[in-house]
Amino acid sequence: MSKRIGLAKKEARKGFGISSIYLIYAAIFWGYPFVWLFILLFSKWRFVGSPQFVGFRNITRVLTDPLFWKTVTNVFRFMMYYIPLVLIGALLFAIALNKIKFGKTFVALSFLVANVSSGVAYSIMFSNLFSVNGPINKALNSLFGITIPWFTSPQWAMFSIALIVIWKFIGYYGLILYAGLTAIPKSLYEAAELDGAGSLTKFFRITLPLLNPSIIMVLVLAITLAFGIFTEPYMITGGGPMRSTLTPMMHMITTAFQRMDPTYAATMAVFVAIISFGMIWVIRKTMEREVDLV
Amino acid sequence: MTNKKIQSGNVILHIVMFFLSLIWLYPYAWLFLASVKPSAEIYTRFLPTRFTLEHFRFILESAERMNRPFIRAFFISLFVSVTVTVCVIITSAIISFALSKYRFKARDGIFNFIIFQMVFPGFMFTIPLYILMRNMHLLNSLAALIVPFIMSGWGIFMMTQSFRGTPNDYIEAAKMDGASDMFIIFRIMLPLNNSVIAIVGLFTFIGVWDNFMWPLIVIQDYYKMPLSVLLASFNHEYGAYIGPVMAGSVIQTLPMVLIFIIFRKAFLQGISMSLK
Repeated sequence: MSKRIGLAKKEARKGFGISSIYLIYAAIFWGYPFVWLFILLFSKWRFVGSPQFVGFRNITRVLTDPLFWKTVTNVFRFMMYYIPLVLIGALLFAIALNKIKFGKTFVALSFLVANVSSGVAYSIMFSNLFSVNGPINKALNSLFGITIPWFTSPQWAMFSIALIVIWKFIGYYGLILYAGLTAIPKSLYEAAELDGAGSLTKFFRITLPLLNPSIIMVLVLAITLAFGIFTEPYMITGGGPMRSTLTPMMHMITTAFQRMDPTYAATMAVFVAIISFGMIWVIRKTMEREVDLV
Repeated sequence: MTNKKIQSGNVILHIVMFFLSLIWLYPYAWLFLASVKPSAEIYTRFLPTRFTLEHFRFILESAERMNRPFIRAFFISLFVSVTVTVCVIITSAIISFALSKYRFKARDGIFNFIIFQMVFPGFMFTIPLYILMRNMHLLNSLAALIVPFIMSGWGIFMMTQSFRGTPNDYIEAAKMDGASDMFIIFRIMLPLNNSVIAIVGLFTFIGVWDNFMWPLIVIQDYYKMPLSVLLASFNHEYGAYIGPVMAGSVIQTLPMVLIFIIFRKAFLQGISMSLK
């Protein structure tokens, strides 16, 4: 009996001992930055000397900075194009993938291989493909006689960036939805067919409601991606033309390391995080519901 | 009648999906062909009149003289990605074993803390983490690319979930035979959970290989840059050399595409598992 207690004690000590490796790591690379984040929020500092407390000045500065809010609007413009297109596209892709029997692997892999394209290389690739004299415009010109200023006009630039991010992520999101789709029991469709339900009814009454958790998952991923987007605009447009593709992350990096203002940059990062948390919270609140099967 | 209609609809669906697959592959095909055709044909022809490796030769040899050491950067990227991946797999396996198979008071607390951490977006910590690297005097060194990432809360989370499903009988039996904890973790738990190990390794490798913003901030020296940052800087200054830039892009993307094709099963599983 006492031996068993001794063993349990030994096990507990060992377990905590091993887990504390992670606790130490988290204290250094998560806790310490977290503390610094709070220091930065309330001080003025240019990487030299020690930070000076300035109260809420950074926060009021963010609230009244038109450039910061311009970058946030740019993210919302990105989402306006990106989310509906990628969601509908991924949904159609998932449904089609569920239906096709021949060459399924080929189709799935060709959509997914886009997802592992490396950020810098794929930005370079698309900036050439979509350049004014590039192959896409050549094709459009010979087919319809039009030339589109993809990345060079303020009206088109953000839309074009959304398009290439869709190329990258549609397969990924599609596969998440496909996994949700295959989990729906076939018997539900059979029962609905017996009741004389058409394919539209089946889609809106069975598929869509049961896919709800996967759709929310995709939305959360898409929102998180939108607020953190950096590589594509940095590489392709540099934030231009006329700052139409300047994103909060680009603005944050320039502010911190070119204008040497890390405190303001960190404050902006916190604001962006809060806005994205807010959006995700609203989506969860309004969309998450218990699915009633009967 | 209806059967026939369904079948013809299905044939059309197959044709449409194949066509779309080709469209999705087109950018890659164009990139690859652009890297092996003469400069004059990059914008004018899809299929080249002759194959050439001059762009690869340029990026691998001449770029070195322009202070853009691509071969070096390739090996730096490889070294950093492999080191981080191996570290993450080892640390996640050991810590996940403790979190799933030992009983101790703080266990659930630590696990919940890891889940809590995953809620915070990485960009929030970019600047404070830079300050940490600066205070540790690690800026402009490979350590700045490796040290902050040697453990992963996500990796521990995934492996703990998987380890919990492994029956304790295996562990008990091994203990009877006098196996050490390390033997149990690396010789029993890892083989039994190889799919989750593959997923964690794969996503970690791709994440590090593809990382751009962090190395852009912490590395200034061209001779310490990983491939992503070096390629970006080359494109920034010598973007007119389209052929070599394309060759560089192929070199940077190819390892990820190859890994994807080799480990496609684990990759597909990883995406579906992100649902849970």
